[in-house]
Amino acid sequence: MKLWKKLSVITMAALLVSTAISGVAVIYHSLLYNQEKTIENYKQQLNAVTYAMEKELDYEPLRGFSDTTANAYYDYVIKKYDASSYILLKENEVVCNRTPFVLKNPSDDRWRTSMGECIIQKKGRQYVLIAGRNVPVMGVQDYSLVLVRDISYLYEDIRRQAFFYFAVYFGMALLAVFAVSAMTRKTLAPLRELQQAAQDISGGMLSRRAGVSAHNEIGEVAEAFNIMAERMERQVEELSSESERRRQMLGSLTHEMKTPMTSIMGYADSLLHVRLTQVQKESALRHIYDECGRLGRVNSKLMSLIGMYDNDSISMEETSIKDVFEAVAALEENNLKTRKMKLKYTCRMETRFMDKDLIISLLVNLVDNAVKASVEGAFIYLTAQENIISVRDSGCGIPENEIPRVTEAFYMVDKARSRKAGGNGLGLALCSMIARLHGADLRIKSRTGEGTEVSVIFPE
Amino acid sequence: MKILVIEDDAAISELICMNLEAAGYNALPVFDGLQAEDVLEKGDCRDIALALVDVMLPGKDGFALMENLQKAHVPVIYLTAKDDVVSKVHGLKAGAEDYIVKPFEVLELLVRMEKVLQRTGRGREKIQIQDVVIDLKEHSVTKNGMRVNLKPMEYELLVTLAKSRNVAFSREELLNRLWGTDYVGETRTVDVHIGQLRKKLDFHEVIRTISKTGYRLEG
Repeated sequence: MKLWKKLSVITMAALLVSTAISGVAVIYHSLLYNQEKTIENYKQQLNAVTYAMEKELDYEPLRGFSDTTANAYYDYVIKKYDASSYILLKENEVVCNRTPFVLKNPSDDRWRTSMGECIIQKKGRQYVLIAGRNVPVMGVQDYSLVLVRDISYLYEDIRRQAFFYFAVYFGMALLAVFAVSAMTRKTLAPLRELQQAAQDISGGMLSRRAGVSAHNEIGEVAEAFNIMAERMERQVEELSSESERRRQMLGSLTHEMKTPMTSIMGYADSLLHVRLTQVQKESALRHIYDECGRLGRVNSKLMSLIGMYDNDSISMEETSIKDVFEAVAALEENNLKTRKMKLKYTCRMETRFMDKDLIISLLVNLVDNAVKASVEGAFIYLTAQENIISVRDSGCGIPENEIPRVTEAFYMVDKARSRKAGGNGLGLALCSMIARLHGADLRIKSRTGEGTEVSVIFPE
Repeated sequence: MKILVIEDDAAISELICMNLEAAGYNALPVFDGLQAEDVLEKGDCRDIALALVDVMLPGKDGFALMENLQKAHVPVIYLTAKDDVVSKVHGLKAGAEDYIVKPFEVLELLVRMEKVLQRTGRGREKIQIQDVVIDLKEHSVTKNGMRVNLKPMEYELLVTLAKSRNVAFSREELLNRLWGTDYVGETRTVDVHIGQLRKKLDFHEVIRTISKTGYRLEG
């Protein structure tokens, strides 16, 4: 069963039962109250009439009357006080009864008490109130007066009242059923929206969010759901951009492999099939050798690029920047010496949490680039301060429109020159990858003819 | 006959030039788009019979160079690593005579070049090997001015070898090329014809047997 139906049914059942019970209780109570009031009323009436009757019956000549005369006298007295309601008893005998009822037990002791007794008797569909007491005539003690009254109206009233109550009750209950179910549905409507949103998201609409603004538990659930969807979308985006990057890299890779492959195949083909001079043969062999070397370099750079995708191969530790700089200087010593360049480094950074080998590889790449860009005898500056490590040269620079692309794998600003210098367009791609693994950014500032500064900006 | 080679990779450029020269062409290597533009505009391109053009070039790419090449009436063969259909269609639609994808075989390059040269009316009319002259128009062969009688298939074989001189053909290749793939023959047929050519033209030293490959006409 749907939640809204369940909730509606439970609410309705509780509501209906409780109102029905309270209704019945109220009606029953009012019946009791009315009964009591009526009895009280009639008792008083009986007492008043008894008092008056006492005067009438305390009549001296009455004792001497013959039965017939006495009966006529009783008749007269009773008639005086509403004959349809009273029965007069004398010595356990009915002496006068003008009511439509017959008193079955005139000798009952109940009619002889001085306080008055009262019972309600059900006769068919009629309710009859019978109240009786003795009439204290001086000297004579055996007169009794019995009040008989049809009080069906009382029950009729209550029945009508109950009927009215239940009519109203069922009407209102019907209304309440609609109101409650509508309200439950409305309260739970956001759940349906939530379900729809979840369905849409699993169907591929990753940007879908649950449009729920309720300030209650459902609203909180929706908010949590949206946060989850947000993160999921971001992750999927990251994944797809990652695979897009890989795809692009693979595309560039196959393309990049083609040039050395063409050379190698072509020269080998020539050596096999074409008549070449000795000089040409040697040149062909040298080309094959060189191009194989190029493939090897691309291969090893690529291995390190791919290796870095497996994040568990990184070991981060507090590393002294000074040590790193010294290592870079040592690794670049030969390279710098052959080009008569100097590496000047200033270190105003103590330690940092990083993978030492990767950062050294990053800086060596950057210094390599700086060496390639600079003329002989130039200075290259390696600085570390605050959260930035940068490599600066005063070499040929990068054209402004190329800067955003230089970190793409296999992208080369000047292909011919770069190849001649043994480049393969992977260095900066590797650098930006290493930076990313450290949560750092690679910022490249450059101006053609003036130099380049590449900064690794670590998070503060 | 001069062939313009527009290729930015030095190794590949040298490879192409090396083979063109071996096959009897003059190669003019050019290393970027702007340089190529220069050469074409200077006007000394009348003797350029064909241009082999790489697509991805520094300065000006191969597709953009098409206009200059057409203005100079130089037929174009694109020689590129781009092997997607879009690039091929683009290159051919722009007016290239052929489109060769790297890596390529030397023989294939030479044969395609020859086809383009013939189609554009720049084919060689005579081929001279030592004292033998092949007149491609007359379909005749003379040695020292004396006419040599060759059977049709012997003539075709000689022309095929001579057109790509210094490049080795395998027996299967020659069989397919000259007798057609439908020909149910043995590679022996090729050997027999080669023998005839050697005898008739005294080409025992010129047509060389290359071990494990086939035959090569050297000269």
